[in-house]
Amino acid sequence: MITIRIPTPLRPMTGGKSEIEGKGNSIGELIEQLNIAHPGLKDRICDERGEIRRFINIYLNEEDIRFLTGKDTPVKDGDAVSIVPAIAGGSHD
Amino acid sequence: MLSIPTAIWEDMIAHARSLDPNECCGMLAGRADDNDVTKQYRITNILATLHETELARFDQAKLADLQQLSPEERADIAFQMDAHELSQAQKDMRHHGLTLKAFYHSHTFSPARPSNTDIKIAMEFESYRAILNLPQPLHVIISLEKKAHPVILAWRIHDSQATEVSVERR
Repeated sequence: MITIRIPTPLRPMTGGKSEIEGKGNSIGELIEQLNIAHPGLKDRICDERGEIRRFINIYLNEEDIRFLTGKDTPVKDGDAVSIVPAIAGGSHD
Repeated sequence: MLSIPTAIWEDMIAHARSLDPNECCGMLAGRADDNDVTKQYRITNILATLHETELARFDQAKLADLQQLSPEERADIAFQMDAHELSQAQKDMRHHGLTLKAFYHSHTFSPARPSNTDIKIAMEFESYRAILNLPQPLHVIISLEKKAHPVILAWRIHDSQATEVSVERR
């Protein structure tokens, strides 16, 4: 199994879990498979063209998949995938 | 402690002014073994391009403020870094043997202190940073509250508390 670390803003979709498990041969397959167990999760990670949203980084273990082969990056049992929104902030409130 | 060369200091102010009243954002890098910033990366604030459904990471109070504004105006009170550019910057840092020293962004109407939103999202980032084995960055804020007199301050955000860290221009 592959461990997927879920960021705080997406945890409502995973029943509050910060880590879930999934299967697949690539990051893309993994996202499709996760969407079956957690409907709507794919839409939060990918845009309407299926590309990773512009404010999200996905790391395979400690490497950004954009440095690998993106959604085609192969994954295997024991890997950890982290979904990490890029830093944001706001003015003083 | 953070030491920023004049050229980068001035460019952060120029970056903030060029986007005012929108917030700018970027990254500062340097060697792991000293306090010197040696490289700056301007990163695009993509907040104005995001759909309302993509703003879920902001808390209810901030979200309510954002929803009252047009997409263009939302970037006046918040920023969201472009993740692709952030990745490219990280790759460049690695290529040059540098490490992330700080994230920076501007406050165009308010002081150079972290907002509740800054602290909340910085803490969220901390939880990922540890598992990804990334260095703990400082948070540099450029205030254009007084347009003719920009203020730059640096902060360490830890345990939901922001502590000011000295920052020098060299």
